[in-house]
Amino acid sequence: MLRESTQIADNQVDLKDVTQGLSDGTQIPNADVLVNFAESIVSRDIARIAAARLAVADTLGNDAMVDAAAVASAFHGFVRIADAIGIPYTTAAQGQDVPEIREAAGINDFYRIQEAG
Amino acid sequence: MSSLPFENCDFEVRQDLIDAHQEAWSRIASPGTWLTGERRIAVAAEIRQARACDFCQEIKDALSPNAVSGTHTATGALSDAEVELIHRVVADPGRLSQPWSQEVLAGGLSEGEYVEIVGIIASTMIMDTCTMALGVADTDLPEAVAGEPTRYLPPGAKVEAAWLPVVEPEDVVETDEPLYPSPKVGYIYRGLSMVPESMRNYWAMANAHYMPGEYIYQFDKTIRALERPQMELIAARVSALHQCAY
Repeated sequence: MLRESTQIADNQVDLKDVTQGLSDGTQIPNADVLVNFAESIVSRDIARIAAARLAVADTLGNDAMVDAAAVASAFHGFVRIADAIGIPYTTAAQGQDVPEIREAAGINDFYRIQEAG
Repeated sequence: MSSLPFENCDFEVRQDLIDAHQEAWSRIASPGTWLTGERRIAVAAEIRQARACDFCQEIKDALSPNAVSGTHTATGALSDAEVELIHRVVADPGRLSQPWSQEVLAGGLSEGEYVEIVGIIASTMIMDTCTMALGVADTDLPEAVAGEPTRYLPPGAKVEAAWLPVVEPEDVVETDEPLYPSPKVGYIYRGLSMVPESMRNYWAMANAHYMPGEYIYQFDKTIRALERPQMELIAARVSALHQCAY
């Protein structure tokens, strides 16, 4: 999804940033404040979230901040369905997440894939 | 705690998001397919309890989830199998395994109960995370609604690619009621399909946070205040931090 959407929008993305954190290789507008907000939400650190939330609101406005919070939250649910039901990772993105992309993103190091051998 | 979703929020929250939370909490409190309303609310309470469980933190910190032994700090309202399912899925979802899921089922849960509980976990995690992200307290758990579960088992549900039974689009029957918006829905959409009501309730709520299915593969469009690459960057980073390979 990230790869497709950045290609169409003519943005640049370094897929390894997905697992390793943002670098200069990813050029998506306001990626820094959005990723910082997403990471703070996963950390559940209330003070860090508050600061990151204000940064997004100041940079992108109320509605974008609310939508960023909503998207980050949505993926706290999606991942749990995928992992608890045991949905095969090979079916992600209609089967288009080929091994080369998983390797480039660093996803092949994840427990589930390592366990699968 | 807040009696209404997003009560006292310092930011303006779109109405469809507020409505989605209200509707989802109301459905969680109602009798489900395999669980009563009372048990479903007990599941929601256990999900919140898991956030403060020391043993869950030990598991998460361990090199292998199987390397530590101990007992979850639980509410006491649910069985050991239910507690194990809830706490592990809440705290360390990226390191679950098929043998682990089989052990949970062998502990006394039916496949339908397992899937229904996972639906409540996913819904509650989304809603509680969203309120936390916006600086608002958890919404009060509603009072359970009395009544009996429907115990509807889709005849087409079967174990194939996933660990738990799934209804593939070609196996949907009329009694399943509308299940899929398209026969080409992604596999994540099918995850809860063994319990159709849970699946419908979950996606009605989740779509208000991300986007309805018809927009998923329209990469040049956005219905939110963020551009699509911005949304997908957030999605990918959150998924990776959960070690989700899907």
